[in-house]
Amino acid sequence: MYKTAMLTKDLVAASSKPLLLSILAGGESYGYEIIQKVRELSGGQIEWSDGMLYPVLHRLERDGLIDSEWKEADTGRERKYYFLSSDGRKAIKTERQQWLAVHNTLCKLWKIKPASI
Amino acid sequence: MAGRSQHPVQIMENQTRFNLNAAVESWRQELAAQPNLASDDRRELETHLRDAVAGFQQRGLNDEESFWLARRRVGQPQQLGEEFVKADPAKVWRERAFWMAAGALTALFLFTTTMPLTAIIGYCFPSVGKIVDEPTLSIMLWVFQIIGITFLITRGNMNLQSPLLASLIKDRFHFAVMTISVLLAAETFCATIMFWVYVASRNVHGFNGGPFAYIGNFMFVSLALELVPVTILIWLLPAQNRKTPKRA
Repeated sequence: MYKTAMLTKDLVAASSKPLLLSILAGGESYGYEIIQKVRELSGGQIEWSDGMLYPVLHRLERDGLIDSEWKEADTGRERKYYFLSSDGRKAIKTERQQWLAVHNTLCKLWKIKPASI
Repeated sequence: MAGRSQHPVQIMENQTRFNLNAAVESWRQELAAQPNLASDDRRELETHLRDAVAGFQQRGLNDEESFWLARRRVGQPQQLGEEFVKADPAKVWRERAFWMAAGALTALFLFTTTMPLTAIIGYCFPSVGKIVDEPTLSIMLWVFQIIGITFLITRGNMNLQSPLLASLIKDRFHFAVMTISVLLAAETFCATIMFWVYVASRNVHGFNGGPFAYIGNFMFVSLALELVPVTILIWLLPAQNRKTPKRA
């Protein structure tokens, strides 16, 4: 599904949902900007292939976690902006608990301090 | 591009100047050939491609380099189609049903406008009536209208993605009110013309109820038929445009 330098395909697919929801929690955004942000935040470790992002966004939209709207950008062209719905905001909480549970368990096994809670 | 250092290859290429808009247009046609991509998906991918091109241009690449890199980033049209259809398998079919209903509505509407045309031709040129009978003339006129519109659309003289059409299908309520009032107005106009032409030619097909009964009957039958595709269209209007989305 994704082309990635570091993460495995499965892991990228699994993490796309919490990543997208959390990015949109910071405000509405559009496909190109989301990819740039993920690349920047992960220090290049998570590289999403551009065209494959949209099916994931569309699935989240169908699940009611995000909404979208065509809007005119400052360039004069229209872009499809995505933003979080109230269900999406709730979903972040669940995702957060689950990912931290995995993170903490691994930290205990590897005897390292959890990076941040 | 002027003033930028040019490689020999670039100079050669610039002789047949790279046209960014033409390149994007041909890429768009490649996408359009993918049966699995809905028009909204294609539009979204195109804005993405344009954003990516602009990103590369800002980093100092020329139009052609930016285009090819952006194109590679976005991915192969066929692969995109496969991924998109996985996310929402029914989407493409909803869109097809939408355009089929739109086609049916257009055809029905043209059939309505054909009738007064036939009546006027029959009245003004009685000699035509000796060559073809009225039903044949109707069907001929109808087919001419359909061919004419198809021709205009394929020639690009009628743009299906015009802002006017986009604003018409922006939301269900807008669409329903606009469509039904246009249909009502057109039907009334057509029925009135037909009635007076038939009265003038003393040929009201055994209709004794007067103009209002005649017009009412004509409108009832045409509207009943046209309401079927209209209902389908209202039902299938894109979900994201149905209402102003509530923000969390």
